Amino acid sequence: MDWAGWAVFGLVATSVLTAVMTTAQLAGLTRLDLPLVLGTILTEDPDRARLAGFVIHLGVGQVFALGYALVFALLHRATWWLGGLLGLLHVAVVLMVLLPVLPGLHPRMASHRAGPVSRAVLEPPGLLGLNYGVQTPVVALAAHLVYGAALGLLLQAR
Amino acid sequence: MTPIADYGLLGDTRTAALSSSDGSLDWMCVPRFDGEPVFGRLVGGSAAGSFRLGPAVPLPVADRRYREHTATLQTSWAAPDGRLTLTEGMVADVGGQLLPATLLVRRLSAEGAPARARVHFDPRLGERHRPPRVRRRGTDLVCEWGTLALSLTCEEGAALEVGRSTTLTVSPGRPVTFVVTIAHREPLVHVSPDAAWALLEADGSRWAAWAGRVDPDLPFRDAVIRSLLTLRLLTYSPSGAPVAAPTTSLPEQPGGLRNWDYRYAWPRDASIGVAAFLGAGLGDEARGFLWWLLHASRLQRPRLPVLLTLDGRLPPAERSLRGWPGYAASTPVRVGNGAADQHQLDGYGWVVDAAWVMVRAGHPLYSETWRAIRGFVDRVSERWSEPDAGIWEIRGDAVQHVHSKLMAWLAVDRGLRIAETHRLSDRRRRRWLAARDAIGVDVRAAGYSSALGSYTRSYGSPDLDAALLVLPLVGLEDPHSSRVRGTVDAIRERLSAGGPLLFRYPPGRDGLDGTEGAFLPCSFWLVRALACTGRRDEALRVFQDLLARASSLGLYAEEMDPTTGAHLGNFPQALTHAALVQAALALREPEA
Repeated sequence: MDWAGWAVFGLVATSVLTAVMTTAQLAGLTRLDLPLVLGTILTEDPDRARLAGFVIHLGVGQVFALGYALVFALLHRATWWLGGLLGLLHVAVVLMVLLPVLPGLHPRMASHRAGPVSRAVLEPPGLLGLNYGVQTPVVALAAHLVYGAALGLLLQAR
Repeated sequence: MTPIADYGLLGDTRTAALSSSDGSLDWMCVPRFDGEPVFGRLVGGSAAGSFRLGPAVPLPVADRRYREHTATLQTSWAAPDGRLTLTEGMVADVGGQLLPATLLVRRLSAEGAPARARVHFDPRLGERHRPPRVRRRGTDLVCEWGTLALSLTCEEGAALEVGRSTTLTVSPGRPVTFVVTIAHREPLVHVSPDAAWALLEADGSRWAAWAGRVDPDLPFRDAVIRSLLTLRLLTYSPSGAPVAAPTTSLPEQPGGLRNWDYRYAWPRDASIGVAAFLGAGLGDEARGFLWWLLHASRLQRPRLPVLLTLDGRLPPAERSLRGWPGYAASTPVRVGNGAADQHQLDGYGWVVDAAWVMVRAGHPLYSETWRAIRGFVDRVSERWSEPDAGIWEIRGDAVQHVHSKLMAWLAVDRGLRIAETHRLSDRRRRRWLAARDAIGVDVRAAGYSSALGSYTRSYGSPDLDAALLVLPLVGLEDPHSSRVRGTVDAIRERLSAGGPLLFRYPPGRDGLDGTEGAFLPCSFWLVRALACTGRRDEALRVFQDLLARASSLGLYAEEMDPTTGAHLGNFPQALTHAALVQAALALREPEA
């Protein structure tokens, strides 16, 4: 297990993933703003939320990177394409499990049952994040492939 | 044909249903406002499904009203020896509980003597009126169409059948409650009739408490609360998107072709809603509207789309539903809305003004919100001189609409006002100042006709435009100037449809066959214009006259037949209700 690689390259890969998502968002491809979505768990000020969300995202990215590192260690192999394959699994979990269940734990996100007394500010992402634009799954897929490939390229399998 | 104004609105802020005074639920889309109808008889004919609960033989309506400041509708019919009452509503707050997303409760009760009632439950789905696969589970009647399931239960459930009328006797003291639950891509949740009734009662209390937050000093408070409640019922809670109306293709002229799909959100209407909610003391709702607006438009910025779906996408391409007979034979019945592709300059003005209203009320903009607003103002500064489709979305060649220029001026002006308390570079400020001056000079010179003594519909046009009634509120001209008063008077005289009613432009001048009714929001804008130009007594008389023209439940469509007083167009219409609230707010202050 490449612990030093995990500590450093996990942060690098998550930063790259965030950059890809943010670029896509600024280019008008998706309304999914991961730092905002995560940060508003802590605060309703969007500007503060982005900062807090980025830190949370780095932490979550490290947790996922640990999974990648473990798989590489178990397989005794780390390549960009293996990382990419894990990225596919990763994005499937994010889009089909994590985003749809997020309204259940997020204090400022509506669910599709939201009513007039809901204090939520964020609309629910829905399955595959489609509520944030039809290209959201494609953007998320691209970002996670980059994340996985980066980790596969940078982490050593021992 | 049931008159449009006969329908009452039931809603849960995710979808809505329309119920007539004979107890027939003739419109309801699932799982949300812009979904497919399961009860579509209103524009789809009897084959499109309905759900009637009412007297077994025709009886006169003795009383019909909403329970005070709630969304629960009560209709009583007078029987020879008693009365039969239908109480109905949808449960809005189902979050955080094991409840279906859509829960419709309808209860029949009798007073005096037992009453015979008839039940006709016939859900059909979508364009082809697909009948459901029906199963019976205990007392539940379960109808399924793939991932969509709908169940009906009541104390006498075993006797009910889909598509076949059933009669039952309702005894005094023994009401019969019918519960419809809907599940989309999830399991059905069973709710017993007693539990459902308790939920509806609790929901009523919540709505009453919500209405209690409305400024107690508002004039005409009951009418304002009904309008605010209607606006809130038409707001899709999961995203905060306000729909213009819950229906599609209710005609602007019976038998005509001006039939549009209004189950989408117009940023312009949302902005008017911001001012209405904020003015009435409902700051959270105003913030919610603005939040939706700025997030929904994110993918298209700095372009502001004319309309969006409930989750901020561009609406589907407009098409006609084959074989749908339409309301009063008004075809085509359309889904989607072709106006989405139009360039409308006025929308920017409404949105930036809404942001300014928030700032003026002491709610500073987040930096991201201000960035979005700056983008809108930049775009207006660059493109204000181009022709556009205008507020009325006329599907012909774009022209130089005076109202659009006025709203472009408003966008830049309000942007500059917000900039007094928010960061703005000097270069940008100079650019905006230059644009504001240029628009002002242009519209004053080319948009005003000395011969008419009024601003006109478009540059060089001899026609007037009732949208120009916003002129006294914008600030381009002194509200007491002769040009402003002349414009208000000219519109009142030349676009009059009788009484307080106004046509939005000379009838028939929109390139379509046939004509249309008087446009109700314009009448409420007239109230504001009169109040703001120092003619409060006149404004008051117009407003009272308009209130008298509401449906018996206090609801308004978009238009009204000036001869018969019949409501026309999609119903109920958010823009009309927002304009009513704004008019009442203008009457609160002698000089707004």
